[in-house]
This record gives sequence, structure tokens and C-alpha cells, in this order.
Amino acid sequence: MSEWRLGIDIGGTFTDVIAVSPDGTNRRSAKVPSKPAEPVRAIVEAIAAVDLNWSDVGEIVHGTTIVTNDIVEQHFRPCALIATSGFADSIEIGRTSRRVLYRLDVTPKVAPLVPSDLRFEVEERLLADGSVLTELSDAEIDRVIAEIKATGVDTVAVCLLHAFQNPAHEIKLGEKLSEHFANVSLSHEISPEIREFERMSTTVLNAMMMGKIRAHLNRIDETKAENSLVHLMHSASGMATPDLIAERPLMLAMSGPAAGALATTEMARALGIQNALTFDMGGTTTDVCLIVNGRAEIAANRELGGQRIRLPMVAVDSIGAGGGSIARLVSGALEVGPRSAGATPGPACYGKGGTLPTVSDADIALGYLNPTRTLGGSVPLQPQLADKAIGALAAEMGFETRQAAVGITRVVHATMARALRRATVERGLDIRSFDLVAFGGAGPMHAVEVARICGIKTIVVPMFSSGFSALGCVDAAMSYSRQFTVNMKSKTWDQSRLDALLREETETLSRALVAAGHAAETLRVTHTAGIRYSGQSYETPIHDPAFDDLEALGAQFDAAHKAVYGYSTGETWELMTVRTEVSGPERELNNAEVPGGATTPAPVGHREVTFETGESANTPVYDRDALVVGEVLTGPLIVEDTWSTVVVPPRDTIRRDATGNLHIVVELDQ
Amino acid sequence: MKDTAVQLDPVSLEVIRNALTAVAEEMSSVVMRAARSPLLREAGDHSSALTDAEGYLVAQGRDVPVHLGVLSFTVREFLNKVGRDALRPGDVWILNLPDVGGNHLPDVKLIRPIFHEGDLYAFSISLAHWADVGGAMPGSYYAAAFDCWQEGLRIPPVRLVAGDEIDEEKMGLILANVRGPAERRGDILAQISATTVAGRRLEELRLQYGVAFLKAAFEAIHDRAERQMREAIATIPDGVYEGEDFMDDDGHGGAPVAIRVKVTISGETASFDFTGTDNAVPGALNTTPFIAAAGVFYVMKALYGPDIQPSAGCYRPLSVVTRPGSILDPRSNVPVVGGNHETCQRVADAIFRALVPVAAEKLSAGGPTTAGLLIFSARNDEGDYSTFYEVHGGGEGARIDRDGMAVTRVHLANVMSTPVEVIETEYPLMVERQALRHGSGGKGAHVGGDGLHRVYRMLADNISLTTMFERAVVPAYGLEGGENGAPFEVHLQTKEGTQTKLPGKHNVTINRDDRVTVMSCGGGGYGLATD
Repeated sequence: MSEWRLGIDIGGTFTDVIAVSPDGTNRRSAKVPSKPAEPVRAIVEAIAAVDLNWSDVGEIVHGTTIVTNDIVEQHFRPCALIATSGFADSIEIGRTSRRVLYRLDVTPKVAPLVPSDLRFEVEERLLADGSVLTELSDAEIDRVIAEIKATGVDTVAVCLLHAFQNPAHEIKLGEKLSEHFANVSLSHEISPEIREFERMSTTVLNAMMMGKIRAHLNRIDETKAENSLVHLMHSASGMATPDLIAERPLMLAMSGPAAGALATTEMARALGIQNALTFDMGGTTTDVCLIVNGRAEIAANRELGGQRIRLPMVAVDSIGAGGGSIARLVSGALEVGPRSAGATPGPACYGKGGTLPTVSDADIALGYLNPTRTLGGSVPLQPQLADKAIGALAAEMGFETRQAAVGITRVVHATMARALRRATVERGLDIRSFDLVAFGGAGPMHAVEVARICGIKTIVVPMFSSGFSALGCVDAAMSYSRQFTVNMKSKTWDQSRLDALLREETETLSRALVAAGHAAETLRVTHTAGIRYSGQSYETPIHDPAFDDLEALGAQFDAAHKAVYGYSTGETWELMTVRTEVSGPERELNNAEVPGGATTPAPVGHREVTFETGESANTPVYDRDALVVGEVLTGPLIVEDTWSTVVVPPRDTIRRDATGNLHIVVELDQ
Repeated sequence: MKDTAVQLDPVSLEVIRNALTAVAEEMSSVVMRAARSPLLREAGDHSSALTDAEGYLVAQGRDVPVHLGVLSFTVREFLNKVGRDALRPGDVWILNLPDVGGNHLPDVKLIRPIFHEGDLYAFSISLAHWADVGGAMPGSYYAAAFDCWQEGLRIPPVRLVAGDEIDEEKMGLILANVRGPAERRGDILAQISATTVAGRRLEELRLQYGVAFLKAAFEAIHDRAERQMREAIATIPDGVYEGEDFMDDDGHGGAPVAIRVKVTISGETASFDFTGTDNAVPGALNTTPFIAAAGVFYVMKALYGPDIQPSAGCYRPLSVVTRPGSILDPRSNVPVVGGNHETCQRVADAIFRALVPVAAEKLSAGGPTTAGLLIFSARNDEGDYSTFYEVHGGGEGARIDRDGMAVTRVHLANVMSTPVEVIETEYPLMVERQALRHGSGGKGAHVGGDGLHRVYRMLADNISLTTMFERAVVPAYGLEGGENGAPFEVHLQTKEGTQTKLPGKHNVTINRDDRVTVMSCGGGGYGLATD
């Protein structure tokens, strides 16, 4: 039996797989259709697609959209909530603000996760410092358990006020609950942070996902070979054991984007790139994530499908524009998106009944997309339908068809550039210091013009760009991170309390990795502090904080604050949160060389392509695998592989490196 | 519509609109990141915009409905006041006077004129709600105020930055008159930076496109917004529609005050005549015509054109008429602090009610059109104030097809509430209960949403409490036979046990173990209840 390592990313439409041979020299990749109802079958088919059997598999790391989709589509299992007496309605009250400003017909908030008949309260109360005002009695626990049992649910979430400061009452409840209910989540374990509503909704969502994920994990366990290890890609760009995920399924909420961010981070490490912006353009959205100084940006709070989730997750911005975005003339301006043709009917060129022009239709009308290719190996593209859809729009604008298609791409590029700029300026960063890393089906087709608007000089289209998230799974190291509230002022610093908190958190997180077979001494521990000036509402993240030296820590904070906000004041500050990550040994860098062509390749064909400036050219098309390592080619040209198309406009250049990545240098206007 | 030398095609228009919006968004990011007032950072109570050389708004950074109305007028009124000849490159002006395209004193505006070779072609403007702008009470909300001077420092247009140098003498004068001068300086610097970034980005766009193109783009953006507004108005049947709604009182406990509107729809134009509205009031509920315009724009966008792009062009087919001397157009120097968020909501309510005959199926019944504001301020040993502002949402009004939702914010307001754990950690308060106020939504075929029931217990002595809420006397209205929601109530129970119902605009000092109970208003019901 050989010991191949597989990364498998189960997306909405396709499941990507990348397999690495035991000695690391052989890498295979494939794409198979996803099976939303039977995710494990997609795994089995993916293994077969790279010509392997379970017996060849040493380890699989898989990313999945199961949790993401259930949250977005609101497939929730009933869950009982236990809260401090007087506070169970908090799950419905939320933070009171509404989602959409100018729509009276849309409900201001999503429906509460827990209906009123599944909300329960217990007599107990902690104060803000964690001290006990009212004890939680055994009789109370027995009473609430009896009441919940009467409802018939098997899933319970517990969120008591200030439990992140003192978990004693939640622990006491949890011990009894686990004797009676299959799925139990306690807020101080899931998200030990201040802000009761966010902690409550995070804990409830976690509990709701437990049943389905446990069933999924069991099915994998039944299917796999006995010696094959299976791990999962979690939202903070690391992998976790099935045992941990069975308790914390919500860690999978951003599994897919996290894998893409990790693949980018690893590639940036190998290529010596400091700052990178990922540009993953799909059908309805484009996901953007920042890698700053070699680290993927992590956010501790995000909204998904209208729900608040407070867990460390890669900070992915989703732009509402992709290949399926519909172009329409609105009061004299050409708008593209946010409406999307989606998968059904899809762009007009799919021939599945769509008649409205989309970005993909423009791509085909302009000659970017190969008109003879088939979609996912099954649906042949129909260029004449794209022309027809765009022709109608063009007539409305008084344009030629190609001119209208250029218009569609110009607008979608402007929209994306605005979103990319927003993602960087919000963090006080200069977008021109970033490289753009383009992947996903359509990313490499549109990256150059977006980069040009943003003033970005360099684009990398990575090896395995169409299955890049699967590559991220292969690269993943075991890690487990949580963020917890500290709330300690520099004026009243309590070093021994901080040391105890850090020690306790590190031990808790390490236990999961040791249980997975890692030797304790091989584990890496990193902390990120969240510090703010007294009176501020937001913390500034400080990586590798000097926790043993108060003065040095203050200086780190002042410097970081100045970098992000442009000033520092030297005032008293407070350490609000710490995010601790414990991870296993780093994977070796993937420097495996991929041989290119020996001599300057002949184009595999030519086609008439119209570029953003409106100029058209009979453009050579190259096979990606045939490009010679190190040779610089100047556009106009197109590079194709089985799954993606790279468009290089006139005067921009492209070069393939020894590990198979493509580097594009953009001619900037100024 | 005017002729322009450069014609923009539909693609260029959308591309340049994105680029200009990106500039305004970057301004907002700068303020969000660098400002010190918690209202700016946590609640996002600030706006940024670009205007053309005449002061007409062309792009807005974040969409804060009430600010759109204000910013559409501030630069124009500012120009009227100081004159074009006073403007020089590298200057930034500061102002907050309600008369000069303003609303209330805490919303401070910084304006930078932007030139190319002596040709003024744009302005950038940053508006931010400061946590304190001086005046009688910490937080600058004084319920008993009978003139505007008691509400804080009044700043006419003043050149605070000259030739890119801050005038520290003027800065010192401002900072000496506000609480938390270090924080306020941070707010001012953030706002100056925002206008500076905008100047730099506009210069980049000018290099790329040229001034003539930018000017043509501004005009095309106005024209498009005008077209969108005309299209929206054209969907409303022609006619004259009248509506009214009432403020609870005159700000000092007097009788309810009517906001009356006569809406005249004629083809693609609409007029909103508020002449019948009651006179200015002694308390802090007065507001400005700019805020009335914000209410009009909000209603039109919410009911008829959610996709209308914010630009001054929206106002071309609209006429908004206010009567001098009325609560919407008072003489100078009257108190205004609450009018900004209370009276502007009632303007929207009055228009909604006028439109019932033609839009009943689009309307929601009355909702929590009040900030539901309580301000608790405690003074610590060093003499500094620890001030907790909290808005309290209520039940949404029901609609033709669904019940109202519990505890939310509607129309021109959308600030988030503060978590109980944060309140208890940062202020000498304990929250004893946070629950739905069951049964407070108005009955109907669809019932109004329930309000909030929150109980605060004081953990210190000498806490000053300011109230600023509405819908206590005149509740949220039912529609089409639905019943009104329960009125907003705030009760004070002292530790000795005496219980009083607090008025909606009130200042009182309270002590340890006193309790303040908020029962926010329920939403109105829709349609006749069947049982």
C-alpha cells in the first residue's frame, strides 16, 4: 500500500482533487461533479478520477460547503436554547438593526434561529467580572432538562450571560445535558467572547450543524480504508480532526475560501511574495482575501446568510459579480450584477434557456473563451446565443455587439476594482503593494484589466489554478484556533492572570492536536492580541505580541495603530482579546518542478479577440503545458488549459516559472 | 437637462460612477478607522461625499439616509454663505450651524474645495456625529434646552486648514469648548484626512480623464438620478394626497405637534408641501428644511425606486416646500438636537400616510420612528464623564402580506443596539432583563411587531439620565383597519419604591439601585383582525 496524500474540495458544482505521491514528486489533479445529496460519493469518485484506490490513500484533507450551504439556505435542525433568566429573547432581538435600508417588503432581520417555544431560561446570574450573583441550582437544571425533553428535540445550545468570564454554570449544565441529548454546544467553548447575541447565535448554529456533520463523518469512516486518515479544512486555514469537527462543525463555515487562502499563502511563501490579494472569480460572486506579510487576514466576526458568526475565519470579501452577472441598461447606465443568471438558466451561451446577457456571454463574444469548448465536459457552449443576448442589449445602447461586450467587461472590472480597493483601504493598506493571485474558472480571464485599474503590477496564475482550493487542502497543517476575551487595562495590568489565561487556552487547544497524534513538543503556538485605546470600539490586531513585556507590547500596539490608522497617541490601552492558534509542524514547501516545453511553442490556434481598449487582434492561443520555463511572451495572447483561460492583452507579458505558475506583468498607465 | 461638451455613453457613465463612489468610500474608511467618537466607529454615524463645483452631490460613501438629505445642501449653502472668491486650494472649512445646510450641532462637517490650475471643479465633504460638541449636558443632548446655544458650540463656516496647514488657534478655540478634547481632535483630524484623500484621488482621476470629462460625468450622474426619480414618480397616479402625523409634544411636554404634507403628483414631477405643518416648538424637536428633504427622498426611494443612485439630481423633479416659522423651517437659534432623528421620521410617516390611497399594498403600518434614545452619564473621580448612549428599537409595522418583526429599526434610522455584556462591563449599570414586550404589537389581519422590555439598574450615584423618545403619546399607527401599537413607555423606580413614568424629553439625576424600565413601542397592525 502506498501513502498518497489527497486534497479534496467539495464545492457546489464540482469536486476538485489534487493527489500528491508519497515522495512528493508526482501530483495529479481532476474534477468530478459534486453530489450535494451524497458528498461521500463525490470523494470516492474523486479518488478514482486520479487513478487511485482507498488503499493508496494515506491521508485526505477535505474542504466542504455543507455547512456554508445549510446556513445560506437556512436548512436548520430544531435546537433548544438555554439562557440566563430574563435573556432568552435575545436570540430574536439581536442587535436590532435591519439588513436592507430601502426595502419595506424585505423583513428587517432573518427569522430567529430558535422559535419562542424552544427558548428556555434558568435562574442564575454572573456579574461582568465573572463573580456569581445567583447560583445555578441542581433543581433548576433538572427542571429545564425535563422541559426540553418534553419537546422531543435532541439538540441544545447554552448561552449564559458573562459565561466567557466564568464558565462554571455552563459546565455544570453541560455535564447533565450530555446525559440526555445527542448534540450539546456551550457558548464558552464555542466562542469565549464578550457580546451575548453573537456568542448565542454562534453557539446555536454550531449545535444545529452537529447532527448532519456527525452523520457525514460517520459515513466517511465507514467508507474509507482502515489506515487512511481523514481531516477537514476549517475556516481559519488549517485542518482539524473529525473528532474536533464533530464538536465544532461551525468551524467549517468558510472551509472553501479558507483553502484558497491557504494555497495562496503557501504559494506566496514559496515565491517570496509579501502581500497578495486573491481573486477567485466564480459564477455569481468573486471572493477576495488579503495575504499581508505572508499571513492570511483573519476576521473574528462575520455575517453569513444573515446570521452572525463569531469564530476566527479567513477574512473573505464576496463581491456580487461573477461570470453569471447580468448586464442591463438602467436609466442610461450599463449596470452589471448583482443580479445573476446563476446555474439555471445560466448565461445565454449555456443554451439552458437564459436570454439575458452576462459576463460569460461577453467573454465568449470577445473571443476570450474558446467557443468550441464544452462546459464541465458536458455542455457545449453556444456562441450564437451569447451574440444574440448581447446584440439585444447593444441595440438598446446604440452600440455594435462587440462594443457592448467590451462595455460589459469594463463595467464589471470597474465594480471589482472598487471592491478590491475597499478591502485594502479599510485596513489602511496601499493596493499597489499587492500581487493579484487569480484563480477559479474566470479569475485568470479578467485579472489583468482589474489589476490595471488598481495599479497592481504583478499577477500570478498559480499551478492548478482551477482546483486551487484542493491544493490548499493538500498544503494544510493541523491547527486549532480560538479567540477569547481578556479585557485587561495597561494601567491595571495583571501579568499572572494573563499568563494563566494563555496557559489554559494553549492547553485546551493542544489537547485536540495531541489526541490526533502530534507530539506536544512539535506544536507551534502563536498569539494575536486585540488591543485598543480606552474608549475605542475596535481592536487593532497585534501579531506575535510581547506578552511578557508590558512596555514592549504597548510599543507594538502604538506602531501597529499608526500603521493602520495613521496616528498613535500613547494613551492608556486595553488588551481586549487574544486569538491563540496551536498548529502542527509546517508542511514542506512545494517546490516540485513541473517540466515545461523544450522549445518556444507554436500556438495551438488563433482567434479574433477584442480587448478592453476596443482594439481587436488575431490572437495566438497557447497550451499552458507547452510554455517554456522562464520564457517571456508578450500579448496579445491567450493561454489555455483544460479548465481555465488566461487572457494577456496587448503589451502585457507572461512567463511560466519552474513550478508551473504563470506570472503576468501589467503595463500600467502611469 | 443641460447640454454638455463631452457626452458620456452608458459604459463610461457606470465606470466613472464606480470610480467616484470608490473615492467617497475611501473617505468613509478613513473616518471609520481614524475617528475617536464611538458613535462614528461602532454605529457608523458619519457620511462622506463628493460634489460638483456648484455643491451638488455626485457620490456618497456610505448610505446613511438622513445624511443624504443634508449633504445635498451643505456645500451649496456654504457657498452662498462664504462666496466662491473666499475659496483657495489646500483649505479645509469646518461648520455645524443648522442654518447652513445643516441639521444639528453634533453633526460636524469638513469641506475641501478641489481645484485644478485655479479651476474649482469639485468639493469633498465629511460629516461626522461627534460624541460631544459642548453645551449644557455631556453628550450634547439637553432635553430642557430652549435655545440652540445650550446645545453646544455653534461653528459657522471657518477656514480650519489654510494652505494645507492646520490653524491651531482656531482648533484650540473649538477644543476648549467640547468635552473630551483629545478625542474630538482625533475626530477632526480623521475628517480632514478624509477630505485630503478625496482630493488626491480626484487628482488621479483628473490625470486619467481630464477636467472636462469629470465635469461632464458629474452632469451625467445628476441627469441619470433625475431620470430615475422621474421614472419613479411616473409610476404614481397623478393627484393630490394629504397626510399628517404627530410629534408627541413640543419638546417641553406640551400638546402634540402636527406634521402635515400635501403631496401633488403630476406626471414626472412631485411636490411635497409642508405649509400646513405646525409652528416651531420651544423644545429640541425643531429641524431644518434639509432634513425634511431627506425624509422625502427616503420615502420615494423606499416605495418607488430602491435603485435610484444618490445624487443631487434626484431632487430636480421634486419640490419640497416648508413654511418659514414652522417646526421644519424655524428661525435661527432654536433648539434642534432631537429633530434630526425624531422629526425627520415623522416627516416620512406623514408622507406614507398621505400615500395610503395609492400605495396601501406597498406600505408598512407605523413602526418605531423614534431613536428611543436614553443617555446615561456618570462622572468619575477624575471628573471625566463616562457616557452611555443607547437607542432602543421597537416593533415593525405589519404589512399586507406579513406580521411586523419584533424589535428593529425602521426608515431613516438604523443604529445597532449595545450588547448587555458590553454595557455591564463598561458602565456602572446592570441590565436585569432583556425580553420581548409581548402583546405590544397592534392587532390586525397581520399583527405589528413587539417592542422591547429592558430593565436597567444603576450601580452608582449621581447618574444623569437624558431621554429623547417619541411614540409615547401618539403611538405607531395601524393601517387599513389594523390597530395601533402600544405606546413607548419608560418608567423610573427609585430604590425607595416610588414609580414614575418619564416624559419623552427629560433630564433627571438618578442613583444607585434605582431602576429604569424601557418598554419600547409596538408596531401597528395591518387590516382588520378576524376574530
